[in-house]
Amino acid sequence: MATIAGDLGKSVAARAGRRVAGSAWIVPPLIIIAALFVYPLVLIVRQAFTDADGLVSLAPLLDVLASRSFAGALVNTLEIALASTAACIVLGSVLSIIFSFVPFPGVAFVARLIDTYIALPTFLVTLAFTFIYGSAGIINAGLMHALHLQLPPVQFLYSAWGVVLAEMTVYTPFIMRPLMAAFSLMDRSQIEVASSLGGRPSYVLRHVIVPAALPALLAGGSLCLLLTVNEFGIVLFIGAKGVITLPLLIYTKAIQESDYSAACGIAMINIALSLGLFTLYRLIIARIGKANAAVVH
Amino acid sequence: MLLWSTRSKAAVWTVAGVIGFAVYLLPMAVIIMASFAGQWNEALPSNFTLYHYTQSVQGDSASQLFASLVTGALASLFALVIGAWAALALRGVGRTWARLLTPVFFIPSAVPSVSVGLGLLVAFSQPPVLLNGTIAIVLIAHFVLISAFTFGNVSAGLERLSPDFEQVAESLGARPSYRLRHVTLPLMMPYLLAAFSLSFALSMGELGATVMVYPPGWVTMPVGIFSLTDRGDVFQGAALTMLLVLVTLFVLVAVSKVPTKAAAQR
Amino acid sequence: MPTASLAAAMTQEAAMTRDAASAGTRVSFDKVTIAYGSSTIVDQLSLSIDPGEILALIGPSGSGKTTALRALAGFVRPIAGRILIGDTDVTNLPPYARDIGMVVQNYALFPHMKVEENVAFGLKARKAPSELIKERVASSLKMVGMSGFLGRYPRQLSGGQQQRIAIARALAIRPRVLLLDEPLSALDAQIRRNMVEELAKLHRDLPGLTVLYVTHDQVEALTLADRIAIMRGGKLAAHAPSNALYRRPPNRFAAEFLGRANLLEVQLGGHEQGTPYVRADFGGAILLANANPQLRQGDKALLCVRPHDLVLRRGEDHDNTIEGTVHNLQWHGDQHALTIGLGDDSIVRVVSAPLREPPAPGTTIALHFAAEDATLIAHEAA
Repeated sequence: MATIAGDLGKSVAARAGRRVAGSAWIVPPLIIIAALFVYPLVLIVRQAFTDADGLVSLAPLLDVLASRSFAGALVNTLEIALASTAACIVLGSVLSIIFSFVPFPGVAFVARLIDTYIALPTFLVTLAFTFIYGSAGIINAGLMHALHLQLPPVQFLYSAWGVVLAEMTVYTPFIMRPLMAAFSLMDRSQIEVASSLGGRPSYVLRHVIVPAALPALLAGGSLCLLLTVNEFGIVLFIGAKGVITLPLLIYTKAIQESDYSAACGIAMINIALSLGLFTLYRLIIARIGKANAAVVH
Repeated sequence: MLLWSTRSKAAVWTVAGVIGFAVYLLPMAVIIMASFAGQWNEALPSNFTLYHYTQSVQGDSASQLFASLVTGALASLFALVIGAWAALALRGVGRTWARLLTPVFFIPSAVPSVSVGLGLLVAFSQPPVLLNGTIAIVLIAHFVLISAFTFGNVSAGLERLSPDFEQVAESLGARPSYRLRHVTLPLMMPYLLAAFSLSFALSMGELGATVMVYPPGWVTMPVGIFSLTDRGDVFQGAALTMLLVLVTLFVLVAVSKVPTKAAAQR
Repeated sequence: MPTASLAAAMTQEAAMTRDAASAGTRVSFDKVTIAYGSSTIVDQLSLSIDPGEILALIGPSGSGKTTALRALAGFVRPIAGRILIGDTDVTNLPPYARDIGMVVQNYALFPHMKVEENVAFGLKARKAPSELIKERVASSLKMVGMSGFLGRYPRQLSGGQQQRIAIARALAIRPRVLLLDEPLSALDAQIRRNMVEELAKLHRDLPGLTVLYVTHDQVEALTLADRIAIMRGGKLAAHAPSNALYRRPPNRFAAEFLGRANLLEVQLGGHEQGTPYVRADFGGAILLANANPQLRQGDKALLCVRPHDLVLRRGEDHDNTIEGTVHNLQWHGDQHALTIGLGDDSIVRVVSAPLREPPAPGTTIALHFAAEDATLIAHEAA
């Protein structure tokens, strides 16, 4: 009896020991992330509270918060992010519904092609836009020639709208992925039965398809919001006066003005905003389930 | 199954076609045209030439290509190793720890890239570790940004992997390290390759952190393209962008063609 | 004024019910062909369903029965032929304009809507007045015995309950035709048996409703259907009232597909005087069977007798006798199944109520059956 209990105890201890040894494997990656990511973040926070003389102070941060450039950048960032996300949701929904419910031969290929845009640099689209919508671009040149105008009529590119259009192009796939995954999981006979009961296409769309899409839209939308708040390349390439977002402001302060305390202060706030949106995104994913979101991450 | 008449279907397809063309095909087509253009004064370009492309494999542009490729390969490799390591190791910790630590590995992708660059700049421009002005800091920046994606891909793949394989291997007497090398990793190979591809593509296009930390001797293609377009050399910029896209796609396709002996059971 | 409109709605409702009860709606497939690319799924199908009857459409997988139902619903467009509901040619009408109700195998209840909203869906889509909707929802749920479930969500219901809601949802719009596509296949055997009875009762309560019932379960078909149509390879293989189809199968496929059949190869002799029977020569033995007007003396034919019509103890009307050796004997609890080998190397199956002294394998036994239970079919290879 004693030996059996002893053996049992030994094997439990052994398994626990293996467990501890097994969990030790997580430590090296943790150390690397801590050293290369957490440590720099901590230093950002420290720098944000360090003034020009190297002393700890709230002044740099308060200056930043009070400055007009910061307020403008914050408002721009949020406005552009919300507008882009809304545009992504609209475009992504339209295309996803068409691809999923009014399919044509080769629709899978087309969907994959759009999906590849995720792998391309974000400034590619912006560069292309200068050729299409720029002052000397296709549309302006064509309109000026056709309507005999002196000045280029289409000027929206060098404004927040240009950024929104570019971000819409680049981030719509992040809406389409979870949406099309959700639609593919949907029971097709629901749509057929709804039609047989008398539902015209628009009625079925509104009452059967859209409710099924909402969880995926929520997940994709919150991801889009996060990504557009963080976007830098597009804003840099548009380079329009007055269109400054938080990431661009950080770059300007740090690299062009060498004002590291201000840059770190802005970065701290930018990071806090991003982490908040990221938490929101993870909470939404947790609620609606991974299958519904076709999570990229 | 939503629309019933050929007429309404045709109308919808036309709308989709117009949108798809205007939003996704047109930019690609325009960049391609611009990369071959000598002049673009009217609505369409003229004076087609290969000059920009020949320029892009010489001098500055060539070294930028080299820098991007090396950074991409090294950062992706490192990110793959660490990301996969973390994903595999998390299976061995208790459930509460796993739930707490998983977000830690995802967070680097949530933070804006410029801030990551700024952090690295601030942290490694002072003792104890001085790295500013070196190539290493660029590599580290890329690594931090893409490690979350490799971690995510590998975690997703591990979730799909049936525990039967490893349990059977264990019952046959295989020790953990043997199982890892001969069962788990081969079955995970498709996911590992996909993770590498994605990381490589992201690294090739990375701008926000790179522009904060790059030393003058290590200019990556995105930074180079920005300089070109900033000073008005848009056609050259377009050509270099096309080169970036082609190289990225080439690596993606090449990696996808690597034969994997075992297709994981879904 | 609410009461006036409700009264108007109910009068209209009563009128519709009267019409439906008296008239019913005929459904016709007129040389309907459905093909995808190079494969023909339904080949010139001509079939009609009488007003108010239940037609069961059965057949092996790939026979085209589900496609035929989906064509009637409007989800599949034929490349040739017409489909008529009543006097209306619906071939080119979209599904929402055909006035049909549909019930599918996996219920397809809308998960984000409560039972009440599910059942009301069709009426709301047709913009019916709200009093009519409320009244119809209540009466439809009562018809399927689910009155107390208005506020539940589909995920809170069992399979059988969900299917009843699906039926109520289809009936709420008072369709002219009800289409059922393997409605009981996803349910447990016990629930399925109950549902068959409930469907039979529903049919009795709604005499004007024409029903197309696609199933692979022959018991459902035989229990519920007024007539049965058998499809094979996209074509109609047999079409007759259930009883007649079972007792007098018109061809080999129908004989073997609906129920089990023993087919004896015989040579036809002449008419047996004073009876409706004909003599059939089975390897020397003379058997009597029901005359088949399409077969003449001297023809080769198949004599079909069902396993449960073969008995081991001869009774009064068992005019026919064949002899064979017992190959196999299986007890199924409520029956004994025997496999008997005959002289010409063919096999015959017998099903009987449990035997107190079952014959051992290897023994020679005599089997008897009545001429009335024997049907002659044109000879075809298997």
